[in-house]
Amino acid sequence: MAVKLPEVEESELNMTPMIDIVFQLIIFFLLSLKFKTIDRRIESMLPKDRGLAPTPSFPEDFLKVKIKVFRRDMDDTEKAYTLVKIDNDSTTFSLPMNWKGHEKETADRVAEYDGKIAAIRSIVAGKMKAHGGNPEEVKGEIVAPPPKGGAVPHGDVVQVLNIFLELGMLDVVFEGAASPLTTTERNARSAGG
Amino acid sequence: MAATDVIPPSEDAKLNMTPMIDITFLLVVFFMLTIDLSTKEYIPVELPYATEGVEDKEDPNTIVPRFIVNLTREGKIIFRGQEFDLASADPGIQDDNIQALKTALRQVHNEGGGTALLREPDGASKVPVMIHADWGAKWKYVQWIMQACADPQIKIYKLHFAVKKPPTEDGN
Repeated sequence: MAVKLPEVEESELNMTPMIDIVFQLIIFFLLSLKFKTIDRRIESMLPKDRGLAPTPSFPEDFLKVKIKVFRRDMDDTEKAYTLVKIDNDSTTFSLPMNWKGHEKETADRVAEYDGKIAAIRSIVAGKMKAHGGNPEEVKGEIVAPPPKGGAVPHGDVVQVLNIFLELGMLDVVFEGAASPLTTTERNARSAGG
Repeated sequence: MAATDVIPPSEDAKLNMTPMIDITFLLVVFFMLTIDLSTKEYIPVELPYATEGVEDKEDPNTIVPRFIVNLTREGKIIFRGQEFDLASADPGIQDDNIQALKTALRQVHNEGGGTALLREPDGASKVPVMIHADWGAKWKYVQWIMQACADPQIKIYKLHFAVKKPPTEDGN
């Protein structure tokens, strides 16, 4: 029996579903398009040879500039601030509790922060100059003695590190917080269950 | 609803879809090529400012993308979708989380079996770790992350600290 097929008027593809899908794809890529959040970085190299030795040794003709950072009143988030001490100098600097540019800081607070950082930088620069002025012969050390050192905000430490880098001292050592448990404590803990 | 509201479609008024589809496909291809899925790994944090930060460019010799360790202000590490909370009051739990982070770092480093390619002859890793930490995170947490990286079983010594360019008054 012969079946008569209906005559096709125009063999046209139905584009609508395809366009729908393509638009959805566009929307997906548009939404997942995220602009880069970081544009800058500080590169650093952990010491391979001495590992995590507690007191790294320096050659004798090198000048060591030690900057100690503490968090004062660390239990009180309203009053907490960072205290900076250079070598064993009697002058200390207290950085304002919050951080420049953040937390809707007032302009004078930011200026105070910048001023103190600049003061620390000039002291470090003075020490470097007195030693001959070659930054390669100066080693920086950032000491954060536990427990108060460990509570210093990361941003304050980066600022201190930045001072060393600005002056061309690329050899900076971090000293401070030990891991929460010692190996002995960890073994005792896992043995106990 | 009245039937008279419907306007009968006229036969001849047909849009030519082809140019629109062409453009649309071009857009799709553009977005597919420009999308950088690695930025998805960054958790939004307030980065510290540093004038000496260098531009964050990808190293052309890179073999695998660097590992991104996020640290929030509260002390929570986010690494490859896993969370490790360091802010516990119990040093035992803090230590457990650091050990878990070490395990995760080791696992990720051994992924794909390309271990030999990723190591220098002395065993040090060629893959850097990007520490993407909030400015307000406690420094000891950052130090713990550094210690985890330098673990003899992980041996990652290259670190990047994510920083922001400080805002300047003159707009530079």
